Amino acid sequence: MHNEDYIASGILEVYAAGGLSLAEREEVERRAAASPEIRMALNEACMVMEEYASLHAVNPRPELKNRILDQIGASQPAQSSAPTIENDNVKQLLYEEDKAASPYKWMFAASIALFLLSGWLSFHFYSKWQQAEEKLASVTASEQLLAQNFKTTSLQLQQQEKKLAIVQDPGFKHVNLKGVEAHPDASLRVYWNPQQQQVYVDAIALPAPPAGKQYQLWALKDGQPIDAGMIEMLGKGDSLQQMKNIDAAQAFAVTLEPIGGSKTPTLEQLTVMGTVDS
Amino acid sequence: MTNQQQPILKLSEEELVERLRSRDASVVSVLYDMYSPALYGVVLQIVKIEETAEDVLQEAFVKIWNSFDSYNASKGRLFTWMLNICRNQAIDAIRSRQHRVNTKTEDIEGPVVSGYSATEFKPEHIGVRDMVDNLNPEQKQVIDLMYFEGLSQSEIAEAYDIPLGTVKTRARSAVKVLARFFKGRA
Repeated sequence: MHNEDYIASGILEVYAAGGLSLAEREEVERRAAASPEIRMALNEACMVMEEYASLHAVNPRPELKNRILDQIGASQPAQSSAPTIENDNVKQLLYEEDKAASPYKWMFAASIALFLLSGWLSFHFYSKWQQAEEKLASVTASEQLLAQNFKTTSLQLQQQEKKLAIVQDPGFKHVNLKGVEAHPDASLRVYWNPQQQQVYVDAIALPAPPAGKQYQLWALKDGQPIDAGMIEMLGKGDSLQQMKNIDAAQAFAVTLEPIGGSKTPTLEQLTVMGTVDS
Repeated sequence: MTNQQQPILKLSEEELVERLRSRDASVVSVLYDMYSPALYGVVLQIVKIEETAEDVLQEAFVKIWNSFDSYNASKGRLFTWMLNICRNQAIDAIRSRQHRVNTKTEDIEGPVVSGYSATEFKPEHIGVRDMVDNLNPEQKQVIDLMYFEGLSQSEIAEAYDIPLGTVKTRARSAVKVLARFFKGRA
């Protein structure tokens, strides 16, 4: 298309009125750049439309100017190396944004880490505590057991010491009571101190008494039986028992009597018997 | 810019371009004083709402400043280039609000630009009335659809069932009438 026809087509006016697409606009600009004639016609059309725009001019509110100048940064003094400064500004903004955001990010991450750590620690210490409780319970139990054992042992020791003292004491007479014909396996030992009148029985090896019956120790003094007390059948082992005081006796005997004992021995129920060595 | 009441600093277009190109931010103030009423008027014609128009003008000025590298003399006159940015920004704003169809269909019957100017009466707008008398309705319609509604020549041809050539000739004759009118006023 010749320049004259191109100008006459009205496309420059459409350009000036803003009715062209980007591609069409670039085409017009290309032709205008190539031809001073078209350039002049285009400028005329544009100036007319500028005037047309000015006909509709309206003053914006005065505040708008500051808003716009502030946003552009025009309120600051102009700088010579503007592009670098713009770049710096952009970087700085981003940097500041990062900087503003990073403490929160960091704090957020830290709080999560702390939360997980505290959760783990809670669990850890809880299980430790549970273990400690269990251990303490078992230790307390074994300590009680130990104390009991100790008590028992010291009691036994006390008895043994007492027994040893009696056995070693020359003042005590040892009287071995032997089973009669009906009870050949039965035996009993009596420690008797005539001075202190103390009587103990030991090494009890008597048949288990039937229900309702109990063994009773007698001291025979000049043929007369004297009640020396009931023998407790405590069970196996050493069982030194102190009996009633006896001042004089030639022999000791044990009979099976009803519980609580009798005034006189039931001779049919004589189990063991032994005489005191003079 | 005849409507400016207070004296403002005016610079030649070459000077403005040079200072904008050297990133002299202080020139934005001059640029604003010189062109904001015309640019704002056009934006207001397009978006019809003052608040939106202010936002659009602000965005447009930021864009003018930030993308000034893309302006060169081959793009034509500075004011036309700025006007195009403002118009595109305004058209984007109304299209994003999906107002385009409504305003387009409503405004065909009546005078397109009188809507806002009537409320913001200025002596200059008497010129608009005079001009409306000079332009025939078809010429005015084509110009205003492009200028204030953001329609392209092809869209106008399609929507109003006019040959594309006719759209161009109507635009051309409208500009001729306007040119005579402005010359007569000057």
